[in-house]
Order: sequence, then C-alpha cells, then structure tokens
Amino acid sequence: MSRRSRRAVARSAGRDRVLTTLLGLVLVAASVLALLVSYGVFGTFRAQRPIIDPLLVTWIGTHVAATRWIAIGIGVVLFFVGIAWVVRSLRPEPRPDVSLSELPGERLVVEHAAVADAVRQDAETIEGVSRARVRLVGTSLKPALRIALTLVEGTDVRDVWADLDGRVLARAREAFAVSALPTAVRLELDATSAPTPARVE
Amino acid sequence: MRLLLRVLAPLLALLLAVVGLGIVVETVTLWVAPGSSPLVVPWPSWQAAVEGLTWQSGSVRAVAVIVGVGGLFVLLTGLVARRHDVYLADPVPEVTVTTSPRSLARAVGHEVRSHDDVISASVVASAKKITVKAATLDPAEDVRASLRERVDQTLLRLPLAQRPRVAVSVTTTKGVK
Repeated sequence: MSRRSRRAVARSAGRDRVLTTLLGLVLVAASVLALLVSYGVFGTFRAQRPIIDPLLVTWIGTHVAATRWIAIGIGVVLFFVGIAWVVRSLRPEPRPDVSLSELPGERLVVEHAAVADAVRQDAETIEGVSRARVRLVGTSLKPALRIALTLVEGTDVRDVWADLDGRVLARAREAFAVSALPTAVRLELDATSAPTPARVE
Repeated sequence: MRLLLRVLAPLLALLLAVVGLGIVVETVTLWVAPGSSPLVVPWPSWQAAVEGLTWQSGSVRAVAVIVGVGGLFVLLTGLVARRHDVYLADPVPEVTVTTSPRSLARAVGHEVRSHDDVISASVVASAKKITVKAATLDPAEDVRASLRERVDQTLLRLPLAQRPRVAVSVTTTKGVK
C-alpha cells in the first residue's frame, strides 16, 4: 500500500489530535497532582501549606529578574504555539496546481480546477458511477488525487476499478507524464437506486 | 467526534495564545511601568482571592476536580477523533480505496432487505464487524442461515482489505404472512 495514496484519503487531523491530547494530559496531571497534595499524600504538613507558598514568594523576591524572564519566556512560547496551531488548524487544505515543468523559459503549470474537472468528467462516464468529486491534494511537485465516487446500487466494484485505472487514471498519468499518480478513492456504495440523468449543460 | 475536534482544537489553540499574550503583557507592564499595572488582566484581585487558601481548602479541591474533568474531556476528544474508514484491497499500487462504514451498512442492508422473508432489518457496520438484526414471520433459524449466506455473498463481491466478522440475529415476530 502506497503511503502517498493512503495519505491522500483525507486531511490529516494528526496535529490537532496530538496537541489536544497533550493539553488534556497536562490538565489531568495538574488536577491529579493538586488533589494528591490536598489529600496529604505528600505529607499532612504539606497539605496545610498555603497555595501561594512563602518559600516561593521569598525566591521570587530575591530573583526578580529571573522570574520576569521565566514568565516572559513561558508567555512567548504559549503565544507562538497557540498562534501556529490556530493558523495550521484553520487553514483550508491546499488545492495545488500541477507543475509539469520547472525549466526556465518553459515553465508549465496546470491549474487545479482544470485537472479536477477533466478527471471528474472522465470518472462520471464510468458505468455505474452516478456522481464523482475530484480534487488534488499534496504539493504542486508531488500531487495526489482524491476521488469520491457515488456508485449506483448493484454496481460491481471491480468493474469500476478496472475502468477507473485503465481509462481515467491512465489518461491522467499520461497527461502528467508520470508513471504513477497516487490516488485515494472513496466509494459511496448503493447511494441511489438509479443513475442520475445526464446533466444538461 | 472529528467535528468536535475540528471545533475544539482552534479554540484551545486560541486560548493558549491568549494566555501566553496575557502573561507577557502583564509581566512587561509590571516591569516597565509598575504604576499602570494591571493593564488588562486583574491579577492582583485573583492573588488576593487565593491568599490565605491552603492546599486543603475546599475551593482548591473543587477547582482541581473541575480542571481534571475538563482535561479528561479534552484528552478523550483527542483520542477518540480517529477516522473509521473501511479499506478495500488496493486494486493497483498507488491507489487506495476506502468506503464509509455507513456505506457498507447500506450495501449489506439492501441485500438483507431484498430477502423475501425479512420484514425489517437493521445493519451496523465497521471495518471489523457487521451486525445484522432482522425480523421475520417465518422460523428464525432458516432465515438466519440464508441471510448469512446473502451477507457473505455481498462481502465476496466487495473486495474488502480485511474481512469483517458477521453477526446475524433473526427474531420471529407475530403477524399474518
């Protein structure tokens, strides 16, 4: 199984999941630690000490400059992690144009919409496919196709595959002059009982 | 759950950024112009409220419990929000084919309901397991066997990467045939 085609299946939520999980772990750990201290697991005497510990207050009093820099450092790190996370999380998944040639003087770029439309129209002519949605993902130098096919009830998946690979993808590979084009296909099975009528253009 | 993560993650990120900005702003204000501190965050009043509390105080425990529950929710959101795609065997290298559990259940459901003796059916599917519950007016055991065969036939036609376990249960309901 190709890693690139597998990655094209859907937008990755890995970063969101990792950061969310980490944040949850930190919160749970802080809470558990506070409760342990509170119930005297680390000694009954410690449980009776004030939250704003005098030891800490005296340390801050004697190390004012260090405390400032530590606070500013923590603040800056939190701020930049937060901003970077927001931007990454809200940014739409890119739709790359396909770069066929980077040679100076003969740079050739195919627009995303042109590729997606061409493949979609090809895919919709496959027997048993009532609707196709196509987009490119990845980068312009390493694009991958993501195709969502809605199949009519009773369609044999293997026939659709054969047609898709032998005709649609073969044509796309030929157009891009590549031997392999990573593709993720998502099938909606048995969505309708009859093919939708041909669209009137 | 994916949707919840999509909503929650940017909010948490924004919260982190705001907290960080607040810390920097207040620290710098206290340092550079102590007269105008606090600038935005009313931290001296928070300090006054916390002053005198010990680790044993009820409010400290309450806050710790609330933070813990919130943290657990965030943690579970992160852990649970995985994809549930059903993978089909790759037809050729460089091509990955998936379908949704709902779609698989629909395909099996059509097949089950097209059986003459089944009057109603529900299907739940995942990549690992397909559960079929059907009701019939005939003896349950006969229908069960033929339903099972039908589901297996459907799965044979569908080249799934991993063959799911199939559980079929049939109940006989009263009624006139």
